[in-house]
This record gives sequence, C-alpha cells and structure tokens, in this order.
Amino acid sequence: MSLIRTEELTKSFHGIKAVDNLNLSISEGVCTALLGPNGAGKSTTLNMITGLMKSTSGKIEFDSRHQGDRRKYIGYLPQYPKFYGWMTAEEYLHFSGQLGGLSKQKAITKTEELLDLVGLGQDKKKRIAGFSGGMKQRLGIAQALVHEPKLIILDEPVSALDPIGRREVLELMSKLKDKTSILFSTHVLHDAEEICEDIYIIKGGQVVVEGNLVELQKKYQKPTIYIETEEVLEDWARTIKSMEWLRHMDVKKHKATVTVEDMDKARDALLMNEGLRKLKLVSFEIAKTTLEDLFMEVTKG
Amino acid sequence: MSQWSVLFQKEWKESIRNYKWIWIPIVFILLGVMQPVTSYFLPDILKNFGGLPEGIEFPLPTGPIVLAETLGQFSQIGFLVLALAFMGTVAGEKNSGTQIMVLVKPVSTSAYILAKWIHMSLLGLASYFIGFLLAVYYTFELIETVAISNVIKGAFVYSIGLLFVITLVLLFSSIFKSTAAVAFLSLGITIAFSLLSSLLPDIMKWSPGTLTNHSYRFFETGSGGDGFILSIIVTIGLIISMIFLSIFVFKKKEIASHTT
Repeated sequence: MSLIRTEELTKSFHGIKAVDNLNLSISEGVCTALLGPNGAGKSTTLNMITGLMKSTSGKIEFDSRHQGDRRKYIGYLPQYPKFYGWMTAEEYLHFSGQLGGLSKQKAITKTEELLDLVGLGQDKKKRIAGFSGGMKQRLGIAQALVHEPKLIILDEPVSALDPIGRREVLELMSKLKDKTSILFSTHVLHDAEEICEDIYIIKGGQVVVEGNLVELQKKYQKPTIYIETEEVLEDWARTIKSMEWLRHMDVKKHKATVTVEDMDKARDALLMNEGLRKLKLVSFEIAKTTLEDLFMEVTKG
Repeated sequence: MSQWSVLFQKEWKESIRNYKWIWIPIVFILLGVMQPVTSYFLPDILKNFGGLPEGIEFPLPTGPIVLAETLGQFSQIGFLVLALAFMGTVAGEKNSGTQIMVLVKPVSTSAYILAKWIHMSLLGLASYFIGFLLAVYYTFELIETVAISNVIKGAFVYSIGLLFVITLVLLFSSIFKSTAAVAFLSLGITIAFSLLSSLLPDIMKWSPGTLTNHSYRFFETGSGGDGFILSIIVTIGLIISMIFLSIFVFKKKEIASHTT
C-alpha cells in the first residue's frame, strides 16, 4: 500500500516542463530518496506534493485512510528553512505544533520530546537568529515532525551543511525511520545509499531509474575490467569490439574500461590477447560497477 | 486553540519583540501632543522671533480646528509610519521564505491574512486612540473645550479612514513582492484620494478621502458634511472587499517559487 502516489504529475514554467509526467509511489514505513542533478525537478516535485505549488496537470493521491487536507499528514523541511529569527527554538515548535493541529498542552510536551531528539535541548531558550546552519536544519526536522505526520518530506536536507552537520542530520534521519516514512531529495547518491530503501533517479523532470536500492545495486553491478597501457590502445580496441563476452567499452588513449558479460571468459581472452601484450600493459584491474557509475552515466548523458 | 489565534499571537509577539508596539504609539503620541501645544505657543513664538510690526495680534485657533489639524498630522506622518511599519507584513514573509513553513501546515489562507489584518488594525487604532486622546486633553487644557460627543463622533469617523489605509497596505503587501512598491502605492493612493476629494468635491463625494473633512465637520457642528453617509458606506465596503481580495490574491499565488 503506498502512502502517496503521483500520476503523470507535470509542472511547466513558461512552457518549459520542469517536471514531466512523473509517476511516484511512496511506500509506508520506508525511506525513499529522490535523486538527481541540480535542476532535475526534485524540489518542484516535492513542492507539488506538499501543496506549496500547483501542478500543471496530473494527480497526487494520498492514502485514502487519511482523509482531508493532506498537509495534516505531511511534515516538510524546505531546502533553505527560514524561521522567525526573533522566536526561540521552543517558541517556534509551540507555534508550529499548534498550527499543525496540536492542543497547546500537547504542543508543549511534543516540543520537549523533539528538542531532545534532535539534540537542541540545551538551546531551546535561544533565539533562532543565532543558530548555525546545522542547528537550523535540526530544528527544521523537529518542526516537520511536530504534528506527528505520516510522511516527512525533506528537500536536500544535508546539501548546505558542513561535514559534521551532514553527519548529524544523516544520523538523525536514520533514527527517524522507525517513527515515520521519509521522502527526501538529494544529489548525492551516497546519502541515499546510507539510509534509503527505495530510490528514484530523476533527470529533466522524468524518472530514469526507480526501484529498491538493494535490487538496483545487484542489477547494476556489472563486472568490469580497467586496462591501462603504455602505447595508445585505440586501434587495438576496435579488434575486440565483436567479442561475445563484451558488453560495453569506453576507450581513452591509454585507458579502457570494459564492461563484460562473463568475467572468466573475458579475463582469459584478454590476457592471452597478442595485440594487447604488444601495447605494454601497465595495469589490469578487475572491478564491479556501482550504482554511482550508473548515476553518473544517467545524469551526464 | 484555533489556528487563527495562534497566528494572531505570533503577530502580536513579533511586533512586541521588534518594538512596533512602542514606536508606533510614540509617533502618534508626539503628533497628538505637539499640535495643540504648538498652536498654543505659536503667537508667543512669532512675537519673540518674528520682528513683526507692533499691534498685530494672533488669535488662538479654535478647538475644533486644532483637533482637525492633529488629524491632518496623523494623515501625513502617521500614515507614512503605518505604511512603513506594515509594508512587509505579507511581502516580507514571502521574500524571506518564512511563510512557506507556516503554510505547509494545514493553515487556511484566510486565517493567515485575517490574523494579520486584525493585528495591524489593533495596533494602528490603539496608537491613534492614545495619540488623539492626548491631543484632546491638551486642546481642552490649553485652547478650549469641544463638546465631547462631537469629539467622539469625529474620532470614530476618522478611525474608519485609518482602517482603510491599513487595509490598503495589507492588500498591496499580498500583491507585490517589493515592499517599496507597497509603501509607495498605498501612500500614493491615499494622497490621490484626499487630493481629488478636495479638488473635485462634487464627483468624489463617495471617496474615503473625504472622511477627514467629515470628522472636522463633526468636531465643529456635531454632524457630518454633505455625502457623509455615502462615503462611510463606500469606505467600509471597500475595506471589506479589499480584505477578501487580499485573501483571494494570496490564495492564487504560488507559495513556493521556482528556484533553479
């Protein structure tokens, strides 16, 4: 059962499609990452799901068990969260919680709990204007959680942070996975691999790759051989192009990256290859492609 | 607790923290005190510095005139201060992005706008009320007394005009991103209304710009001038429609802007 589904969701700005017939299905109880380069349409998609932007066409459906305004069931952290700097962290959460529909009393107890969770218990009486980027991001997560939403949506939660802030927020996010479903956008695959189950790689407003992370990793782990020679190997590379074990080859002057079907066959064939030996082999390395390569390939081309 | 009151409390707290609840009343108090006091001392001042020919006496202005002049000060400096204080009420939040985190919660746009309107009106009216109360006090002490019921009626009529200006600021603040445009347009329109009303009194009988004159007539005679009822009905109508228009405009605009 999916918590939220989009059907052919489209958003155009002055005739240019930022999001183009996007179909997403976010499952309950898991963490889903929306992965893509800058300008892929990630923020626009999230903005439409939260209701901050209207879609040009397409549908967004929230789980039918939860009726009414879907903002009640969604917590959101924008890419650059902007707070009222004159409020203290505690006041902001009281404010935010009550807007989310909590009673004053409930908002107060929830605030205490969340400030401890995100590690701002010490700073609750301080004005937000004096907070660091990492503290604001953590407060942002707390305000997204304050009305106990079914889903929290985080837009590039770690992109603007230094390495320490990044670590803190990622750790916090993996802690949150027990409490609520998470949908977040990022342009760093590594962040997604660290905490997510499902990923969508999007580019130019369209889904390019989607699925369960573990399955995708398996699927895209192709055996690969890196070859480096002293002589230029471009001419030689053409001679092996038609080999049945070859899948894909990327050649650059002295280097070649060869993706293969069958590693054993390919290794034997290459090492026995007279032509290759003449080119004075410098290195011969066996490896596996990762999702990173796929991501780079998808986002580049 | 209803969301409306949560938003209202936020507005209230905010303007206490950034001292709006101090400096706006102070401006109105100063304006309110200065007008009767300078009117009272003006003849002496002129006598001492003027080098005027002997024998010319400056009569003190009448009470109703001093009160009307006080309102004239409110309409210039007072409105300017109100426009500057409130020009960012919606536009500023839009520009800084703070409204995104409010409106992503299940908050209705009308609650958001109404909380702002009521807070602005309360702050504006309270400042005006204190300032005018002092003006009345000093006028009574230094110049002459005016029938209390006339003063109250006139002051009430003027407060409708004040609400009109405040609502105008709110409307433009929901339409435009630039706070300068908000201040410029709301003051410009207010000035245009009052100029046109004095230049073309016959065709501008309905205008909110005539309200200041009607207040003066109330101080003087206890009843409004020609077309008083019309102008007050039109002004109240305009205020209500501008509130609805602000909500409508605000709802239609996209909250999040396209960034990349």
